[in-house]
Amino acid sequence: MKYILLMSGTKAGVEGYHAWSQKDIQTHMAVLRGITKQLTESGEFVATQGLAEPAEAMVVRGEKNGMPVTDGIFPESKEFLLGYWIVDVATPERAYAIAGRISAAPGPGGVPTNMPMEVRRFAAYDQSKSQ
Amino acid sequence: MKYILMMHCPRTGYDTFGAWPKKDIEAHMAFMLAFNKALRESGEWVSGEGLADPKQAKIVRAGKDGLPITDGVFPESKEFLAGYWIVDVASPDRADALAAKASAAPGPGGAPMNMRIEVRQVMSGPPEQNSCNES
Repeated sequence: MKYILLMSGTKAGVEGYHAWSQKDIQTHMAVLRGITKQLTESGEFVATQGLAEPAEAMVVRGEKNGMPVTDGIFPESKEFLLGYWIVDVATPERAYAIAGRISAAPGPGGVPTNMPMEVRRFAAYDQSKSQ
Repeated sequence: MKYILMMHCPRTGYDTFGAWPKKDIEAHMAFMLAFNKALRESGEWVSGEGLADPKQAKIVRAGKDGLPITDGVFPESKEFLAGYWIVDVASPDRADALAAKASAAPGPGGAPMNMRIEVRQVMSGPPEQNSCNES
């Protein structure tokens, strides 16, 4: 079964990350790369991506003539997707365990960030139709 | 350049969708399948998935012992990801145009839903400059 592990944060949170020391950022990234490497070795890795700055985010709606109407205005409280991992695991518990490891990635001074990870299963219907 | 087009819904969004007449649901799904097919034919398709009901969503944090602590409590105002497309397009305008097409998917009675689609660029720089890009 496939799960997506969603890492989200606010604009303020992203600005906080940019203020980390170079060393803390490198340590954080090394741990995340290590987790991805292990998931690849265990055959559970499907995909991962990081998203560009929330400041670039747009909301688009289709107008009556089908032309896009863009709007970049979000409420202050809005959480933005920062990045995700897609994993193919045997049980939901395994997905939670992997999310827990990502959550424990080190932050400033090497202290675990314990950031919340949203864990969502892929809908079987769309998957079977779209692949 | 790669963009992700994200479709969101409230916690009860799937119940609302499930209560549509069967014909409207089928028309909506047919639109989405045709949209996906057109993206594959134009070479802009990277990936796309629909997510399971937000009611099954869990929040996970690492506890002190490194074990996962799960929690299903979300604020009422929270929007959930319902599905997404990743597209590889020539310009930001093309990403907006595709998002508008998805936004206009038919709802009850065949009327365009004009739902909000969040459009974000996917990072493609070297991994050391990104927070979590591995591919």
